[in-house]
Amino acid sequence: MGQLILGQLLNGAIVGTLYGIIALGVTLTFGITGIVNFALGAFMMLGAYMAWFLTDEAGLAYPLAVPCAVAITALAGLLADQTLFRFTRNNLVNGLLVSIGLIAVMEGGALLLWTSTPKNMEYVLPGVFTFFGLVVPKMKLVVFLVLLGVILATYAALTRTWIGRAAYAYSQNPEAAELMGVRTKVMQSGVVVYSTGLAGLGGALYASLYSIDPTMGSVYILKAVESAILAGIGSVMGSLFGGVLLGITEGVGSIYLPIAFRDAYGLIFLVAILLFKPAGLFAGRR
Amino acid sequence: MGRSPTWDGAVVLLEVTGLTKRFGGLTAVADLSFSIAKGEIVGVFGPNGSGKTTLLSLIAGVIGPTSGTIVWKSRQIQGEKPHDIAAAGIVKTFQNPQLFSELSAFEHLMIASHLMLKRRLGWHRIATLLNPDAGRAGPDLERRAGEVIQLCRLDAARDQLAVGLSYGEEKMLGVAMALMCEPELLLLDEPASGLGQAEIESLESVLRDLRDHGTTLCVIDHKVGFLGRLADRAISLHHGAKIAEGTPANVLRDPNVIRAYLGQHHDRV
Amino acid sequence: MTASARVLVVAAAFALLPVLIKSDFILTILVFSFLLGMLAVSFNLIFGFTGQLSMFHAAAFGIAAYATHLAMVHLGVSFWTGMLLAATLVAVLSLIVGIICFRFRLKEFYFAVVTLAFSEMARLVVLNWNSVTNGTLGIILQDKPSLWLPGQGVVKVDSTLMWYFISLAALVLTVLVCLRVISSWMGRSFAAIRLNDELGDTLGINVFRYKLAAFAAGNLIAAFTGSLYAFFLGSIEPGFLSIEQSLAIVAMVLLGGRGAVAAPVIGALVLTSLPHLIHFGAEVRSIVYGSILILTILLMPQGIYGTLSNLGRRRRAA
Repeated sequence: MGQLILGQLLNGAIVGTLYGIIALGVTLTFGITGIVNFALGAFMMLGAYMAWFLTDEAGLAYPLAVPCAVAITALAGLLADQTLFRFTRNNLVNGLLVSIGLIAVMEGGALLLWTSTPKNMEYVLPGVFTFFGLVVPKMKLVVFLVLLGVILATYAALTRTWIGRAAYAYSQNPEAAELMGVRTKVMQSGVVVYSTGLAGLGGALYASLYSIDPTMGSVYILKAVESAILAGIGSVMGSLFGGVLLGITEGVGSIYLPIAFRDAYGLIFLVAILLFKPAGLFAGRR
Repeated sequence: MGRSPTWDGAVVLLEVTGLTKRFGGLTAVADLSFSIAKGEIVGVFGPNGSGKTTLLSLIAGVIGPTSGTIVWKSRQIQGEKPHDIAAAGIVKTFQNPQLFSELSAFEHLMIASHLMLKRRLGWHRIATLLNPDAGRAGPDLERRAGEVIQLCRLDAARDQLAVGLSYGEEKMLGVAMALMCEPELLLLDEPASGLGQAEIESLESVLRDLRDHGTTLCVIDHKVGFLGRLADRAISLHHGAKIAEGTPANVLRDPNVIRAYLGQHHDRV
Repeated sequence: MTASARVLVVAAAFALLPVLIKSDFILTILVFSFLLGMLAVSFNLIFGFTGQLSMFHAAAFGIAAYATHLAMVHLGVSFWTGMLLAATLVAVLSLIVGIICFRFRLKEFYFAVVTLAFSEMARLVVLNWNSVTNGTLGIILQDKPSLWLPGQGVVKVDSTLMWYFISLAALVLTVLVCLRVISSWMGRSFAAIRLNDELGDTLGINVFRYKLAAFAAGNLIAAFTGSLYAFFLGSIEPGFLSIEQSLAIVAMVLLGGRGAVAAPVIGALVLTSLPHLIHFGAEVRSIVYGSILILTILLMPQGIYGTLSNLGRRRRAA
């Protein structure tokens, strides 16, 4: 039993980094542009399909396909930002509606192009590590380390570089930051591009672990929003902790309760937090 | 400070005792006690940050006190919701005019006629959902709205959308909406701020009219001259505590009050 | 002409339509349009008039559909009784969800997210309770409602024409009731809540109570719609409660217009007939709904009806 729990803990932590990378995108987007971008799930899906397409159909080596997929997704994010999100800054309701509309368009497009038949790329890095009696697929470990690295690097960039500190200052006090010369428009677009890129990375790596289909994003974005809220939006490391916490809860929970309940945990956390800490969860920002 | 002297026969409507409000480390209202009698105009003086607005918000139920009681007509009302307190007869206006952006001044008053309808028909007002003529209340409400518009000198603005009103008209609309609620006690939060000389005179005469027709008023404002002329009785606050009470003339001559205002900009209007 | 009179005139025109148009295909599209119109109009009561973006509407719609069938199968009642029982269930659930949300004074966006969460929970229940709901496979509905017609006695509702008149009557009833409510003091309270609920509070309007009333009423009508829709379609599946369904409802309202009671029907008519006129599949439908949602939000926030009436007003003023 202990083995089972430990295994689920580990697995949950790994899945948690996937939630976390998208949650990071959610948090950053909210802090700088004032909306919750639900379409990040669809961008994750785009990244996954781009990675699959480049590896499976175009014959590119997977390690090369991933950065390309990220770049393509970020570019799509830029397009979406300039045509759509630019007009919904700080308008949570319109941002919600526009992102839901975008999800429908992107999922419909993916269905048209690639059908609902799941695509599979689990051959990328087969094999497992075994330690302490636990079996961990090699690819999962790679994904875990890469995502962890990216999240930590983002944290470092936000706290140590000039751009990062400007972004943090802006999220705390937009008017003051602008007066001090922060280029708002550029920063806002930049954040959207960066967060869609993060989602694309998450998707591209996800594709090497699980099979992908056009609606995969919907499940993930809800979990990502739940993770971001769980640990407190506005906190970079919070996205990671929230994601891991959610992932572990789901994993361990699935041992004792039917699998059907798995998706419910996040929903219940979400409702509970929004009811009891509505302002607090977005602490530091309106 | 003890309770204020009231004249013989005065009926005390509102009794505030030991009222305190703390926001974290900041004490906005400190152990405040005073009362308001029926038919008088009570003016609350005090520089910025003295707790005047917090006091009105506490009475109107917008926020709840940390401790202390507010007794309205022998009933404790501290901590109750704004709509219940409005139904009990206390209505507050906003310092920065709060309006319904897409609607006309007349429509604002019709929305504000909610309490009137509730008092006239009670639960039977549900019947008017299906049959608008039931209870014959509609024409009464509209007539009253027309009266209030005239009372507040908003005739010119009656059918104009709220966005097109001047600042002075917006403030008067706030007072008009409060009037539609048939208040026994009207709490006015800086009604004269931002108004020009002519508008202030107009406001004064409207408020005196109201008092003459039976409404009790409690007014806070920075404009010392305006409030001094209008109020029957005054109290002065400083850092949330009452430092003087009496006639406006006496309060304004009180050395404590002058010290509180010293160095603070106040409007001599 | 009053709004109610206008509605009756249009309704009469539609009632006479089957005399001219015999095509079962067109009548079927119209039945779906009328029923989805009911869904959109009831959603607009909550969203357009009271200003609350509820993502629970599809859940009300779907739960009622399942509940009606289950009541008929397990309790042996008629369709109409089943419909009433289902509506009661939905009313109770709406009150619970509404009380939770409004007690905690959730605003706009947070209200949308929490109602979305509750809607997803409902969908997960339906999806996984295989023994009762048959899970992803859904249920094929063999039963048909019965109706008593003068001169014919009790008849089964099995022709498109009968459904046409039932759905038209239901839609017209919905619109007339909503019109009456909106133009009453309750409609004024909704407007106050939508435009400035803090102000409404100080004027004596019990914001909690009227938000709850609008929410419950809207969901109740959605419940009736769900029962009718499922039995006309002949099947139910968990997709009734999906986010895509909620999206479709919002798209219909935004397309038709938020400002008038009957305006969402225009959106329902357009979005329902489109896939049939231009023959596209489910994927393209998603793209179309999504694009319409985006385009209306950004370019035409008043919807078709709102934009047209603004144009008319401007031309008359010129």
